[in-house]
Amino acid sequence: MGSANHLDFLLYGAFPYIAMVLLLVVTIQRYRQRAYTYSTLSSQFLENRQHFWGSVPFHYGILFVLLGHFVAFLVPRSILWWNSHPARLYILEITALIGGLLSLIGFVSLVLRRGSNNRLRAVTTPSDWILSVMLLVQIATGLGVAVFYGWGSSWFASTLAPYLWSLVKLNPDVAAVVPMPWLVKAHILGAFALVAFFPFTRLVHILVIPNMYLWRRTQVVRWYGTNQGRVEHRKRSAQDQQQR
Amino acid sequence: MPRTRRTTRCCALLAALFLAVAAGRVAAQTPADDFKQSCSSCHTIGGGPLTGPDLKNVAKRKDRAWLRRFILDPAGVLASGDPYAKELLAAAGGVQMPPVAGMTGDRADALLDLIEAESAKERSKFAGSTVSDRPLTDDDVEHGRAVFLGTTRLENGGPSCVSCHAMGDIGWLGGGRLGPDLTKVFERYKDRRRLAAWLTAPATETMLPTFKDHPISDDEILGLVAYFRHAAAESEEDTAPRALVFILLGLAGTMGALVAFNNVWSGRFRSVRKALVENVRKGGA
Repeated sequence: MGSANHLDFLLYGAFPYIAMVLLLVVTIQRYRQRAYTYSTLSSQFLENRQHFWGSVPFHYGILFVLLGHFVAFLVPRSILWWNSHPARLYILEITALIGGLLSLIGFVSLVLRRGSNNRLRAVTTPSDWILSVMLLVQIATGLGVAVFYGWGSSWFASTLAPYLWSLVKLNPDVAAVVPMPWLVKAHILGAFALVAFFPFTRLVHILVIPNMYLWRRTQVVRWYGTNQGRVEHRKRSAQDQQQR
Repeated sequence: MPRTRRTTRCCALLAALFLAVAAGRVAAQTPADDFKQSCSSCHTIGGGPLTGPDLKNVAKRKDRAWLRRFILDPAGVLASGDPYAKELLAAAGGVQMPPVAGMTGDRADALLDLIEAESAKERSKFAGSTVSDRPLTDDDVEHGRAVFLGTTRLENGGPSCVSCHAMGDIGWLGGGRLGPDLTKVFERYKDRRRLAAWLTAPATETMLPTFKDHPISDDEILGLVAYFRHAAAESEEDTAPRALVFILLGLAGTMGALVAFNNVWSGRFRSVRKALVENVRKGGA
């Protein structure tokens, strides 16, 4: 490896491992020591109007885009197969762009909401603000790549997926990353920075919701409006206990 | 030992372990593979000049120290005003040798040893491309276009050209924007033999890692050469504002999605707390 590439190797060949180790060790350590911090501390109760236009578009957008990244990483051939007809390639790229724009609109709305509401500012930590900046940069660079360097779904699957697999196989080959435009390199670096910062932030909520809802017994959460309601609840609870 | 310090040590140890394993596994490459991937797109050994000169007996034309320096930093040697480098540039029609990704002194030495050994042979295995030189037909043009667009998948699993490149005759949202527009690429190479040799082992820093394990087959190269020659004569470079159309379509879709979200959740989610508050105001619990 030439001396000119040492920085590239450090950023794209070594830093990903440091990020992954931080993710694994600190995530487990935090769960063992401070399990009750495993939440994103919903602020819906503090402000409920603007919240909808932030949370809903952001989450649906980012989930779709992340799913696309994971599929292109795990099964790159499936993306190349889908993209083997220009019309299908265009549909995928436009849909992904919509996902990215929804994420951007949603996230900007969430950040503005946090900044403009006193109650929300009071429950926002420095880690939240740092994470907000990182996510904004990540979404912006992702959109920049989609617009200026299309069609990323195809070239990611054929060029960068092998790079990610080389990391998984502990045989990092950064040759595919080195010649990429700075915007693409910034997006890759930002992704690993987010992985490294993940366990120190509210992003850990990804690990706890909605996972348990998939297999636990149904749970009815209700507002006890009257005394009669409370009596009925006690009766049902007693019946449930007898049946068990 | 406090838990925080133990966690920090655990992180440092694990990271060091990962890095040690990763650093010790840098892939080795034979000089022959290196020549094929890094040099054969522009040079032959005994097969005549392509974009760059024929390298047969190159060590007899110029001393090894100079050759080593040139392989390591072609732009630097040229910038120093070296007269032989200028001569080479003129012979290549002004096409400057690009830097070879990750080139080291050891790699350059291994390549020079290989060139010397291959020069001694009556016919080197790097004497030239194996792509057919038969006359190109309309079917070849169609086949090349299908390979470019990806409707015919590349035999060895490589990505289609449209992923990164535009052509003047694609239409719709056009081709990819990571690499250059290839409509006039045939004019730049002037010669189908040169273009075919280049496609046999694309040596740009972006294409080399992508195609080194997924080479384009001779049949596909023949089609692509036919398509590029046809396009250079019949089409103009794609100057339509495709990226703008792409953004507008994305914005329209985003608006549609927001309207859909508003309709789907109009009676839910946003109004949970509001309903409870109204219920309390009306005298409920």
